[in-house]
Amino acid sequence: MGVEIEARGLVRTFRDGERRIEVLRGVDLAVGQGEMAAVVGPSGSGKSTLLHLLGALDRPNEGEVVIGGQKLGELDPSALAAFRNQNLGFVFQFHELLDDFTAIENVMLPGRIAGKSPLEVWERAGALLEEVGLAERVDHFPSELSGGERQRVALCRALALEPPVLLADEPTGNLDPKSGEQVFELLLDLQRRHRMTTVLVTHNPEIARRCGRILLLESGLVKPLES
Amino acid sequence: MPAGARGNRPLRRPFPLLLALRYLRSARRDAFTSFLSAVAAGGIALGVAALVLALAALSGFQSALRGEILARTPQLTVEIPSAKDVARFKARIESQPGVVSSERVRQGRGWLIGRGRAQPVEIVGFENRLPPSFPSASAQGQGLYLSDTLARAWGLERGDWLSLASSRPTLTPLGPEPRVRRLRLVGTFHAGRTEQLERVAIPLPAALDLLGAGTVRFEVETKSLERALRVAPALATILPPGSRVRTWKDLNAPLFFALHLEKGVMFVGVFLIVLVAAIALVSDLSLIIAKKRSEIGILGAMGATPETLRQGFVLLGAMLAALGVGLGAGLGIAASWLLERERLIRLPGRVYFLDYVPFRLEGGDLVLVISLTLMLALGCTLIGAARVTRLDPIEALRR
Repeated sequence: MGVEIEARGLVRTFRDGERRIEVLRGVDLAVGQGEMAAVVGPSGSGKSTLLHLLGALDRPNEGEVVIGGQKLGELDPSALAAFRNQNLGFVFQFHELLDDFTAIENVMLPGRIAGKSPLEVWERAGALLEEVGLAERVDHFPSELSGGERQRVALCRALALEPPVLLADEPTGNLDPKSGEQVFELLLDLQRRHRMTTVLVTHNPEIARRCGRILLLESGLVKPLES
Repeated sequence: MPAGARGNRPLRRPFPLLLALRYLRSARRDAFTSFLSAVAAGGIALGVAALVLALAALSGFQSALRGEILARTPQLTVEIPSAKDVARFKARIESQPGVVSSERVRQGRGWLIGRGRAQPVEIVGFENRLPPSFPSASAQGQGLYLSDTLARAWGLERGDWLSLASSRPTLTPLGPEPRVRRLRLVGTFHAGRTEQLERVAIPLPAALDLLGAGTVRFEVETKSLERALRVAPALATILPPGSRVRTWKDLNAPLFFALHLEKGVMFVGVFLIVLVAAIALVSDLSLIIAKKRSEIGILGAMGATPETLRQGFVLLGAMLAALGVGLGAGLGIAASWLLERERLIRLPGRVYFLDYVPFRLEGGDLVLVISLTLMLALGCTLIGAARVTRLDPIEALRR
């Protein structure tokens, strides 16, 4: 199994006035192709910061991130945007669907941004929504969907361009236990079927246990835990 | 599309246009954004409508004034320095393409005396027929012509005898003696309400007798006012040195300059409304960007570049501006048409030379208003939309 995501010596600090806050102090991690890893840790330990660095949304002060053999530090902002579009799928805690777009239009967004044929993107989005049981809800706006349905749409959007890597930040954190369980089951199922390398940030020990690997982020460093 | 799934087939719109159209719709749903968008687009509409109306009113008024003045102004005047070969020069003038006729005239000041009254007048001596600058003549023939208003005011009728005294006296052994000629009233012409000095027309021999030979002057009529402007330079080349050709524009240069200046100042003044509305467009776009902050972050995470997002917001601003310009131009055109057709704004005809405010739409004015407003609004849109490129996706995603 080749390495899909690799972080080497990641340091990320922030400034709060005169104070310098060192959130990540030299994180090293490697996630293999098709592997699913959960990142756990106390609030404020830098889990989301790590995910943003892995997702090419932020740049480290030191160290480097390599995804699928591509060093992210070598890419300029527009190349980085194109890289995110083609290689990374994001799922956030708060579904983050666009309110003015219907479910299917939200799923179509990555494809539209990539400049793909609208018809091709539309067909793919429809198939994905059917796969997650939302075939009858494609024309609904996010405000017309339940929390679990919205997160399922967000999951479809992350998979729209079949990216090799999926990054999920507390995808069930904002759902009731039943909906959370359904969404996580779906995520596991899709991850296995689409064989995506997945890094999932969670506070939920049960969810973390069901991922292949658990990485504990503590004091700015990542330590492996047994799942 | 799998069976059971609904959804309309997507339109082939580029992503920035898709984003702009959705945010335009969203602006309608959100009360505050909707209010700001309405202020920006409505302000532009109001400004454009006000500009179109103001310029149409000015054009209408200026056109009426110009018509009034030009009806009493020769299209061209030609002055030649010598009284020799007058007939030859007249023939030469009339041989020019575009020239319809020419009349030798002699002009000067004098007094009209009759019925126990005296009135200072501009005397115009004509050779064969009354020149076109004396419109709506009631008769043709040799004799004295007065304005219809003066004839009415003095209670004169055709056939009445009146005296004309020249300001140029004749020197006699007994001293200077006024030159006076008795002339029979043969007709009247329509007096404009803008004339400041009464004019009378008399046969050329009588005018030469009263005013002396002076400079030989022709009033030339051409096929149109525009043609006169083209004929003038050609005439100058066939006349002797020292000759002077003046067009209707030269003869009324101060007036036309004043009218032009008035329109320019009015345009700048009313355009300030558009300027304020265009600035409101910047604040409107900034507000929409602030409200859509997290969505912009998500789009960034999905790979939308800052440039793509900027294009989306530029298009949104351009749509609001186009909406405002379209509405404003439509409103201005409709109001101008209605005001002109129904003559809704009345004026006291005894005071002004018109009894209503005329509106006249000119294509050039419309193009200028629309293009300048769109350019200004687009400039403001570029400033407003630039904010989206400065938004950090991480900050935008943070709740």
